[in-house]
Amino acid sequence: MRTLVLGLGNDLIADDGLGLLAARELAVTHGHLADVVETGLAGLALLDLFLDYDRALVIDAIQTGTHPPGTILAIRGDELSAVVAPSPHYAGLPELFALAQAMGLAFPRDVRILAMEVEDAATIGAGLTPAVAAALPTLVARAGAMLENWPGE
Amino acid sequence: MSQKITIDPITRLEGHGKVDIFLDDAGNVERAYLQIPELRGFEKFAEGRPVEDMPQITSRICGVCPTAHHMAASKAVDAVFHVEPSVPGRKIRDLVYSIFFVEDHALHFYYLGGPDFIVGPTAPKAERNILGVLGKVGLEIGKEVIGLRRQLRELIALAGGKVIHPVLGLPGGVAKALTKEDQAKFIAAADHAVEFAEFTLKIFHDIVLKNPDYVAWITNDINTHATYYMGQVDAKNRVNFYDGQIRVVAPDGKEFLKFPAADFHQHVAEQVEPWSYIKFCYLRAVGWKGFTDGADSGVYCVAPLARLNAADGMATPKAQAAYEEMYALLGGKPVHHTLANHWARLIELLYAAERMQELANDPDIIDPNVRTLPTATPTEGVGIVEAPRGTLVHYYATDADGLVTRANLIVATQNNAARIAMSVDKTARGVIKNGKVDDGILNMVEMAFRAYDPCHGCATHALPGQMPLRLAIYNAAGVQIDEIRRDG
Repeated sequence: MRTLVLGLGNDLIADDGLGLLAARELAVTHGHLADVVETGLAGLALLDLFLDYDRALVIDAIQTGTHPPGTILAIRGDELSAVVAPSPHYAGLPELFALAQAMGLAFPRDVRILAMEVEDAATIGAGLTPAVAAALPTLVARAGAMLENWPGE
Repeated sequence: MSQKITIDPITRLEGHGKVDIFLDDAGNVERAYLQIPELRGFEKFAEGRPVEDMPQITSRICGVCPTAHHMAASKAVDAVFHVEPSVPGRKIRDLVYSIFFVEDHALHFYYLGGPDFIVGPTAPKAERNILGVLGKVGLEIGKEVIGLRRQLRELIALAGGKVIHPVLGLPGGVAKALTKEDQAKFIAAADHAVEFAEFTLKIFHDIVLKNPDYVAWITNDINTHATYYMGQVDAKNRVNFYDGQIRVVAPDGKEFLKFPAADFHQHVAEQVEPWSYIKFCYLRAVGWKGFTDGADSGVYCVAPLARLNAADGMATPKAQAAYEEMYALLGGKPVHHTLANHWARLIELLYAAERMQELANDPDIIDPNVRTLPTATPTEGVGIVEAPRGTLVHYYATDADGLVTRANLIVATQNNAARIAMSVDKTARGVIKNGKVDDGILNMVEMAFRAYDPCHGCATHALPGQMPLRLAIYNAAGVQIDEIRRDG
């Protein structure tokens, strides 16, 4: 059973760095349970990263404007096309899954997403906003627990 | 009763933006606006940092065209240090840049621009994506696209470390030499890329050019603006992505300006409009006359079609033949039809592949003299490359220790902003009549700006509102009276 943790985002741009920061911590604490990858890529470019994994946990920032900053949302990959896609990353993911399936690629069967509502995703060099920084340890703990308790096979 | 229609955010683009369409009492378009949010704070962020870090930092700002920022910044840093890269250093940069172009243009055609043409502009939204494209051209093409992409990215990584964290460009050249074994891989990939580009142009011929409806849509007046065009050219006025002079041609196709990168800011000024965050670039020598085309308006255009219009030809044989064919079929130079960008992009794809082949076979790329060490005191400098989306300008000034005191980027989408705004407005006026708006009509408006492949503020991760696409209708008092939602 091969597990991927994929932190998405850009650590130069305010709250958009949270997925990378969370991945960086998980690499230390849970690196024995999963391959932890940080990336700033989006859309089709993510395809290669998912190949040959059985399951994947994606960590990312979202900005729906309907939750207070710092709110953590858990989404299952197979719900993505049914639920609203709140980020261009996710708008690309259902297409990616469908493409992988159509082409018979070795793609994760179980994809889960932990996303955090952010306040600022447009200021270069700004660092995390206070609410997002305060919620980051909770996000990391939730991701860690998910990896520890993810049922095998 | 006046109405306001909002397309928000724009799908299938990196970053986000929205289109506001205001209808008059009769339900016809009064004015359509494209809103583009921008990243903030780059200049402040750059201040006080070593200028030689800028190629790494700017490539991390944008996950879409990291290599373009890396190269423009590397060239600006050369200029800041008053150093000319060694020949092998310059050729390795050019080779890597050609590879990046092949990858980016190929991806655009199959993934972003292709769905509109291959699947059809008014096909159901659920089919207008890469799966729809593969349904038409065959799944094996999908494997080919993904395989080539992987091969090219591995080569970029081989030359310069990670694709979005390249450590290739240093002042005066590149960080590492290539070996004979590396060269064999570059040659094999280049041969593959040329084949792939020729095949992709053939698909465009068979599916798009043989369909009279598509050709009529490309050449329709509502998708046409007679503006100035800008692009980088070599010493023989042929398209060059990595280096050369900036050439501007007038709406009648005649050369209007030609200048080195260092003079860019003397020729281009920026107009601020109250409804947009974007500053609209225009030619100083002509002046700002508003969102209008013609020789009296300083609005100009960059990106594939503009580059082909601004040049006298392509520097490689197969691309040159494709270039001549396009102008013969579309009635001579310059071509003012915005949607011809898709064709121009494929001609550039073929050029980039041939250029890659030429450089991969060049003995200089395995010469270990990859860098000229800078010795002069750093001051200021401009670096320009043609990014896939158009002319990209980096400017840095430093103190005597090489720490940045001023920084400024002009990205392709800023150069194109005025003409994109004009395209959205003109197409909206042309396709929305008597208040009738449906998914296919809105897609035609989206196609008007998708042809430019705009990149919004170089923000890959600016995350939009809850709905991938929202169409809101407001009355004259600004009260929402109806809403149509489209799921992504």
